[in-house]
Amino acid sequence: MNHLSGEFVAALARTWHRFELPEQDLETLAAMLRPMDEAGEELSANVAFDMEPSDYLLGLEAMADAARDVGHDK
Amino acid sequence: MKDGIVDASLCEIADSIAAREVSAVEVTESAIRRAQALQPTLNAFISMDADGALEAARSVDQDIAKGAPVGRLAGVPLAHKDMFYRSGRITTCGSKIRRDFVADRTSTVLTRLEQAGALYIGGLNMSEFAVGPFGTNVHFGNCHNPWDPARSAGGSSSGSGAATAARIVYGAFGSDTGGSVRIPAVMCGVVGIKPTQGRVSRYGLMPLSYSFDTAGPLARTVRDAARLLDVVAGHDALDPTSSTRPAGSCEAACGAGVAGLRIGIPQSYFYDETAPEVAAAITAATDTLESAGATIVPVEVPSHDQINLIWAAALAAEAATIHRKWLRERPDDYGALVRRRIEFGLYQPATRYIEALTLRDGIVRDYCNTAFADCDVLLTPTAPITAPNLSDVDVGDSENMPALVLLLSRCTRPISYLGLPAISVPCGFDSAGLPIAFQLIGRPFAEPTLCQVGHAYQQLSTWHERMPPLVANPGQGVPES
Repeated sequence: MNHLSGEFVAALARTWHRFELPEQDLETLAAMLRPMDEAGEELSANVAFDMEPSDYLLGLEAMADAARDVGHDK
Repeated sequence: MKDGIVDASLCEIADSIAAREVSAVEVTESAIRRAQALQPTLNAFISMDADGALEAARSVDQDIAKGAPVGRLAGVPLAHKDMFYRSGRITTCGSKIRRDFVADRTSTVLTRLEQAGALYIGGLNMSEFAVGPFGTNVHFGNCHNPWDPARSAGGSSSGSGAATAARIVYGAFGSDTGGSVRIPAVMCGVVGIKPTQGRVSRYGLMPLSYSFDTAGPLARTVRDAARLLDVVAGHDALDPTSSTRPAGSCEAACGAGVAGLRIGIPQSYFYDETAPEVAAAITAATDTLESAGATIVPVEVPSHDQINLIWAAALAAEAATIHRKWLRERPDDYGALVRRRIEFGLYQPATRYIEALTLRDGIVRDYCNTAFADCDVLLTPTAPITAPNLSDVDVGDSENMPALVLLLSRCTRPISYLGLPAISVPCGFDSAGLPIAFQLIGRPFAEPTLCQVGHAYQQLSTWHERMPPLVANPGQGVPES
């Protein structure tokens, strides 16, 4: 059960960003955020201690090199 | 040559100008006339620079007359999404907030195109701040689809798709963060390439998302788009995130054929919500490639649903960082859809955002090792539907907006999270006369292979030669050349 509510979003806006959200926006934003929160929570189990975002650039290069090494990269 | 000016592809017109069969001035005057004639119908341009383009065209003609060496795009009129900065000129980014913004630098993409001799006739319409796949814009007016002006041109590079399809220009650059080159390409029936993350410099390109922004070409043929990409690809010291890997020639790869290549057809996700007419056209295109010697292979791909969600979370977090000051001080200067799609990034935990980027390495390795284990490229629809009515997608921030956005971008956005290269190639029309296209997805930096396959398909098909009725029919107010 995801408890991310419009009231919580309003509090974040007020506390972190120093502005008030219109009442009618709160539930819309909460509804947009909930599935992202669920997916992020589930995937976060795959994050390991030594990982960092810049590994991604190495991954791209490695996958391109791997393709060339087996002759896929024409 | 008069009819030939409109009919010619980018490569053909460049060759004709270089051979002095037609002058750059004639070609440019023709492009400007079409742009002016079609503007009331398509609203493809935000700004035009007819005088500057003609002056540059005269310079090209003089160089050619003197026998001076000229570039591969010499004298070819182009126009670009109005978010590529040019020093000293206004770049609106399709927004009210930047309506008068004068750039202090010139983007590397524009610099390299001009070094190759290309001409610039104006800034093209786009979704505000490059947010939104519909091509709607509350500040500059919606861009309209040349195949049916009541339809969306796709977004966010709406003007790039419309101006190229309407044969106003021979090609255009757009940006693609989740499908913004590929979606207008499919909706307008032209070719669009989203390069590998880091293949093309983003220096001087309005930022939306540091992690996912790419710049790519739209053109009528694969070979045309390949030439445009070749001109701009490669490392740029001004963009430290650009790859130092040498760029293979995409244009040289055109003509190699597909014999021996393996084309993977994903068995899940990409075809789930595809309209029957789109699915039939994709199947026919697959059959064409098989008849040319390609091997068609069914492949399993990892789940995309979670990828889509963490892409959206990370993109919004980055966009909200860029826009936070204006969201606080000028919220009413954003269109409703754009503000909503950016502002939810303000409420993502920093840890969640960094996790989304941290996981990217493992996910792209897993994807490549799984999806490309038995094939060279993947073939999918570019979009599951053809161009929707503008009245159906001009929905602001209504409740059904997120679902509409996801539907239109469901085949493109996961590829942006992965950072893989992709090309959209026209492969048919539906019963309403609207274009359909397939998307080829490759391993990192495999743009030449994508162009090889796409070009081979265009040698066996004529979809890209069709002209929108309002361009083909001079009676609708469009000059012949």
